[in-house]
Amino acid sequence: MELHLSSEQTLLREAAAKFAAAAGPKVARGFRRRDISFAPEKLRQAGDLGWLGILVPSSAGGLSLGLTELALVLEQAGRGLVCEPIGLAAISAAALAQGHTPHPMLERTMNGAALVVPALQEDAHCNDLAEPRMRAADADGSIRLTGTKSFVCADGADGFLISAYGRDGPALFYVDRHAQGCELSATQTVDGRKLSTLRLKDAPADVVPSRQSSRNAVEALTDLALIALSAELLGVMEKAQEITLDYLRIRKQFGKPIGSFQALQHKAVDIYIRTQTTRSLLYQVAANNDPYRIDPALAVAVKAKASEDALFVTEACIQLHGAIGFTDEHDIGLYLKRAMLLSSLFGNAAAQRRRYVNLADLTV
Amino acid sequence: MFRHDSPDEAAFRAEVRTWLAANLPAALRGRTNRPPPAELMPWYRMLSRKGWIAPHWPKQHGGMGATLNQQIVMTEELAQVGAPQLPAQGLNHIGPILIEFGTAAQKARHLPPIIEGSVIWAQGYSEPGAGSDLASLATRATLEGDHFIVHGQKIWTTWGHHSDWMFALVRTAPQAQPRQAGISFLLLDLHSPGITIRPIKTIAGDDEFSEVFFDNVMVPAENLVGKLNDGWRIANALLGHERLGTSNPQFALMALERIKTMARASGVMADPTFQDRLAAASINVIALAALFSHAVELTNRQHGLGPDSSIIKIFGSELLQALDELLIEAAGSHAAAEQPIATDFGVVDVSTPFLQVRRATIYGGSSEIQRNIVARRVLNLPN
Repeated sequence: MELHLSSEQTLLREAAAKFAAAAGPKVARGFRRRDISFAPEKLRQAGDLGWLGILVPSSAGGLSLGLTELALVLEQAGRGLVCEPIGLAAISAAALAQGHTPHPMLERTMNGAALVVPALQEDAHCNDLAEPRMRAADADGSIRLTGTKSFVCADGADGFLISAYGRDGPALFYVDRHAQGCELSATQTVDGRKLSTLRLKDAPADVVPSRQSSRNAVEALTDLALIALSAELLGVMEKAQEITLDYLRIRKQFGKPIGSFQALQHKAVDIYIRTQTTRSLLYQVAANNDPYRIDPALAVAVKAKASEDALFVTEACIQLHGAIGFTDEHDIGLYLKRAMLLSSLFGNAAAQRRRYVNLADLTV
Repeated sequence: MFRHDSPDEAAFRAEVRTWLAANLPAALRGRTNRPPPAELMPWYRMLSRKGWIAPHWPKQHGGMGATLNQQIVMTEELAQVGAPQLPAQGLNHIGPILIEFGTAAQKARHLPPIIEGSVIWAQGYSEPGAGSDLASLATRATLEGDHFIVHGQKIWTTWGHHSDWMFALVRTAPQAQPRQAGISFLLLDLHSPGITIRPIKTIAGDDEFSEVFFDNVMVPAENLVGKLNDGWRIANALLGHERLGTSNPQFALMALERIKTMARASGVMADPTFQDRLAAASINVIALAALFSHAVELTNRQHGLGPDSSIIKIFGSELLQALDELLIEAAGSHAAAEQPIATDFGVVDVSTPFLQVRRATIYGGSSEIQRNIVARRVLNLPN
């Protein structure tokens, strides 16, 4: 089902589609196991196009657009297996723009000269998002963070937005990559990128204030991350669906295209139902929520559904391809691996459902 | 959940809510089955006198001429107060069909009684040999002078034994190819000689549907709707609207409330595995609301949804079944009780909604038929 878009939104989507078309499976393969698994000049290009400041108020130099526009860009990024962390950079810029005076890193983050990413997760199941164990201590008028963050997309990052427990409860802080007491160790992901553990010991930090009208900055950034990842997941599953439908029309067995067989047709429709329902859910939530005040139950619902459906879809796409789908040579596996990465971050589907139980009061 | 009322819609909602609170009889609220005509039709006529019986019909034919959003407000408020489902065949099917395809005489004769609630209509599509393969239907209508002679049988006719009239698909050109080209759309007075109607008891314990036999029934030629042998197109013209209507998320939201009540009463709400599955189902209810809202937006802006309406029907009906599976799970050994279960948290009817909802993935084209439609017409997969 098509989205009803304004002409500006359609132009934005077309520009993002063009950007994504220049990426794609071949480029994504090229970045596997590289030191920095994306092209910094491409991130700057996204910055030049305004996308990294897409949510940033125009008073702070951004485009002052909404979640729909963010989702339109990231959906295309997902389709193109784009490796540049456009979504994480864009939501970090939104977070840095919240104070009365924008954070000093905002401008460079918005134009893509520097990369700032969120570091909110401490365990694999995101049980800790609202109550971080990372500690912020106030010493001689300067703030220092101590603790550990996990599953950070630290590749190529210049700084981090870190949730920590301070004097007034959980708050958001900025720490420079090269700050004293900041240590990173990376592991490879299935799709050839890296996730890092970030260890801080008395690392100097500064507070990122929350927007006047909004909730806690940590919660606002978390909900933005859930929407951003979901939009990318939607693009991943849609492109995998498209590739698979093409294959069903072309591949012949028993003298007929395999897409003429009812068992495979019904599986294809199940894939389509997943992509369409995720799409409607994401864009209805995007259209009806302010970026800084997303209803947390809806953000969690979107990420739960997108994570589950992206795995369902990409797994089914491998199955519908048969043996060729199990080869590294074929592109369809790249979409499964990207779905594995994105669905696992900031809480997988099961972790989101656990949060939803409390948010929607599904309790005794 | 996603749509926001305009000021006019909000005022309309308040008006509807107040009126329903004051006028809907308590005995008709929160029913999990459809009340029989003796109980239901007085309520139908009350809505009619208020002018609200046909929000989607144009004013000139006795409807409200309401916008799609107003219609949704109305549906939401009716569901909210637990109003029973009204017989839909007149209001949602033959009424709109006659408004689009009927002659002036057909409109004048048949539309006012539907609005008034003085005539009940039945749909005559399925036959014993023509279910999913509807185009194979064999009930014959042979034109002899100024009458058709109708011979054959219809089945799964909802409220057939309570109905006065039937709109039916009949075969008027037995040799035509494709078979769809030999089908016409006919209005039949069910009180005509030669008609026998037998109610069929359903697994839910009611006799919601029946079988209807036609033994050389004389039907005036002027009861043909549209052109001879053009019935298939007419029957399909409004299917998308029907699929959208049956997938209103209010039914799923009501099912969710029943589950929560039952799960709290039985204590299973404390079980994390149950909570996980309830969360998954609840998230899908939000997704259905989003899908519905998206579909309404599209329908408001273009003529119809087209074959994409099939995925709403599949998703909505399968979700309702998943919800009622959680309901009987929450009820534990109470699940098999025929009567509603009294709990500290309120009375919950468990077996009736669970049994009732089996039909949702069958009527109006089974989930499997809907998947065939989507595969061919949306995904363009080969034959």
